[in-house]
Amino acid sequence: MLPAKPTLAILTALACLQLVHLRAGRRNWDVIASAFDLTPRRPPEIAPPDPVIPEVRRGDSVLRLLQPDTLDRFYEALDRTERKEPGAVTRILHYGDSPTTADLITADVRDLLQRRFGDAGHGFILADQPWAWYTHRGVDVRGDRWKIAPATQSSLRDGMYGLGGVSFEGPAGATSRFSLAARGHTSVEVAFLLRPDGGTFTVSADDRVLQTVDTAAATAAPGFASIPIPAATRRISIEVERGDARLFGASLTKPATGVVYSSLGLNGGYVSVLARIFAEKHWREQLRHYRPHLVIINYGTNESVYDKFVDFAYEKEMKEILRRLRVALPDTPILIMSPMDRGERQGSGEIGTPPALVRLVGLQEKVARENACAFFNTFQAMGGAGTMARWYQSSPRLVGADYLHPMPAGAKQIGTMLFRAIMDGYHQHKLHRMRENLSQIGGGR
Amino acid sequence: MALTSGAWFAFLAAVFLLYWPASRVRALSLALVLFANYFFYARWDLRYLALIPAASTIDFLIALALERSTRSGVRRLLVGASLAMNLGLIAAMKTVAPGGLVFPLSLSFYAFQALTYTLDVYRGDAKPTASLLAHLAAVSFFPTTLSGPITRVSVLLPQLDRRGHSLAPEEGGRALFLIGLGLVKKLAIADYLGANLVDRVFDFPNLYTAAEVLMGVFAYAFQLYYDFSGYTDVAIGSALLLGVKLPPNFQRPYAATSLPEFWRRWHISFSNWLRDYLYFSLPGLRSKSKIVPALNLVITMALGGLWHGLSWNFLTWGLLHGFGLAVTRRWQSTRPKATAPAPAWIRFLCALATFLYVSLAWVFFRAADMNAAWAILTRIASLTVSFANISGPLALVLGLGVAAHHLPRAWYERGLRFYQARPFYVQGAALAGLVLALEYVASTGAAPFIYTRF
Repeated sequence: MLPAKPTLAILTALACLQLVHLRAGRRNWDVIASAFDLTPRRPPEIAPPDPVIPEVRRGDSVLRLLQPDTLDRFYEALDRTERKEPGAVTRILHYGDSPTTADLITADVRDLLQRRFGDAGHGFILADQPWAWYTHRGVDVRGDRWKIAPATQSSLRDGMYGLGGVSFEGPAGATSRFSLAARGHTSVEVAFLLRPDGGTFTVSADDRVLQTVDTAAATAAPGFASIPIPAATRRISIEVERGDARLFGASLTKPATGVVYSSLGLNGGYVSVLARIFAEKHWREQLRHYRPHLVIINYGTNESVYDKFVDFAYEKEMKEILRRLRVALPDTPILIMSPMDRGERQGSGEIGTPPALVRLVGLQEKVARENACAFFNTFQAMGGAGTMARWYQSSPRLVGADYLHPMPAGAKQIGTMLFRAIMDGYHQHKLHRMRENLSQIGGGR
Repeated sequence: MALTSGAWFAFLAAVFLLYWPASRVRALSLALVLFANYFFYARWDLRYLALIPAASTIDFLIALALERSTRSGVRRLLVGASLAMNLGLIAAMKTVAPGGLVFPLSLSFYAFQALTYTLDVYRGDAKPTASLLAHLAAVSFFPTTLSGPITRVSVLLPQLDRRGHSLAPEEGGRALFLIGLGLVKKLAIADYLGANLVDRVFDFPNLYTAAEVLMGVFAYAFQLYYDFSGYTDVAIGSALLLGVKLPPNFQRPYAATSLPEFWRRWHISFSNWLRDYLYFSLPGLRSKSKIVPALNLVITMALGGLWHGLSWNFLTWGLLHGFGLAVTRRWQSTRPKATAPAPAWIRFLCALATFLYVSLAWVFFRAADMNAAWAILTRIASLTVSFANISGPLALVLGLGVAAHHLPRAWYERGLRFYQARPFYVQGAALAGLVLALEYVASTGAAPFIYTRF
């Protein structure tokens, strides 16, 4: 017969659960029915992200750039590069937060653009790894003995963080070593600070010293030393030889026409870094030196969990960045790239999107519209709110367990989307130019 | 049907309510267990309804033939056939099934359990049963199907093949206590540590400091323990509700003061299986050489590692344990037998060293590949210290997990006796309260048990 006490205990437990669930308006019959359901088991009904990244087609406004016509000057540069006009290099600066720090997304866009238009070099890279997370596809950087000051920590009073947002100060013996995955770079340009009592550093290629650079000057100012290197170079070293030197990074270029796509990621980066912490004059000089054809501003993830900052400060800070950029580079187009979706556990236990993130993306679009910038809505392009939940549950996972940082496959999806959106704008631009030319020819007749 | 799901408990309650009235008739109770076993397999995939009865019947016939045959060649052939069939079953389930479809459930634990029957009969350690029904019911006993504990069929048979037995109130209380404890271990500790630290650290170690990564590795050690021992508690409790006692699988493994002791406390049924059926079967057991037994240990653990998956990671994990065991055994054999227990501080240091070594091996076990394992180790070697990513609740859960693991056994027994002594309505209400609390804490639903994929 049924053992009395265990049976009664089980029935009590079931009755209590039933009672509580009924009071909460839930029914347990589904659970009981599911126990005796013999239909073949299938994985949970989670719509996996489409492995095929959609092509931009007519009507897919969500996959397109908003106001692509604001990028005309960039597209003209790209057109010259495509036609391989002598010296036609298109330079892009991409400022972003932690995914950019690991060259996620940017490496994929760089790769796609360089395959299409030619590889004119890796672009800018910091003098050391300020964070272990800092990595660049194709170039490995290791440093030693540097005192590292990232702009995100706002530790320098002078606000001089170079182009990439990090200052490296080192005594004699401080070194930076860049290992190149592929040959072909023919020039390295080291960015440093000229200043009173500045020391000297040497630049070597494959252990052969090429040049000694003196960083001493009467007043503090950005310094750049462009040094030709043999095309077969695989290792570049910078070493402080005498005194103290302050470096920002190095830019690697190739002699070919093509695209240089500089990934400028700051771990924990947010809009105020560019709007407030960067000294405006210093940043302006850096930007003017690098002469980009397009600047991409890709912040928002870190801000998205601070409701008040989003509602009261974000727009102002974005506008300040645009103002600074317009002063520094009046003719250079700007593309605002929204953050990806971000997942967080809700009270219900589901992985949801912080409401402030949706508002932040809306603000970015508004700022872009009002300030003649292009806008790429990464958030909507990848599927909108709840995408990170799907990415997390997909197999293989496209986002890490923090529901924030994309896995390489996820980053590739976003990179490809951005590339296709840029290319869609480029094709529209060329079509428009062609129509203009045709109408001129027609008018001439 | 995961062992933490409502469906499992509805199923278990139904089997419980039908089993005890049927237990007065032997054939009826066996038929009910067999029906429950096959129903459980069918819930995963209907194809198991063809595979499991066929494989179990072949083992039943092989065992009868082994009993009757005296020719060693024939006996070897028979046991070889059983080995080939069951190991083939493991291999097939881990790869691709006919038609290119992957089976949802690995049959490793079924196959290990089934092999205990034919190997024990072959060695003369057990007598075969004459009842096909009893054999079929025992060999695929549903609480052990997913991840053990691997129980000798010769231990299960007499517990199932009987009639007129009953479930004492104390045993019923123990069963419910174990089920509740298992749910807490799995849902409140293991899943929390996994989602909030372990998975994050193992995904992107470079986003964390060395101290945080090290905490992530330690958290994984405890996640795996609470996940697997939580599962085991539910399985043992479920079997006990039907009056079947399964062997223990864990005994505070991280309190072990040496690697051999760790393996006497961790996944005990698996390590016993490896020892009894693999290590003792390897040649050179009686050799006077000091190298051969050590080599056999390394081979046994390497194969144990590869059973988890054919990858360098699992091989490295197995080799680390194999070498560790061989070196420890060698060292222990050179020392005179201790007459008194070592001082507490020495035992503490030994336990710490053992835990660190086991945790090092877990890095390879958990990492997606060797590069990921290397990234974890190099990040730890950076010696950077900050705990910015360790939230208060996370530290609390990890701390509670560590503390609960090291609680004296007597405290656990006291808690169990306290629960057993309560009236039925307190026991039932406590269990319901626990389930509701866990529903609130782990409202996302449980993550799959780690070991079910093996």
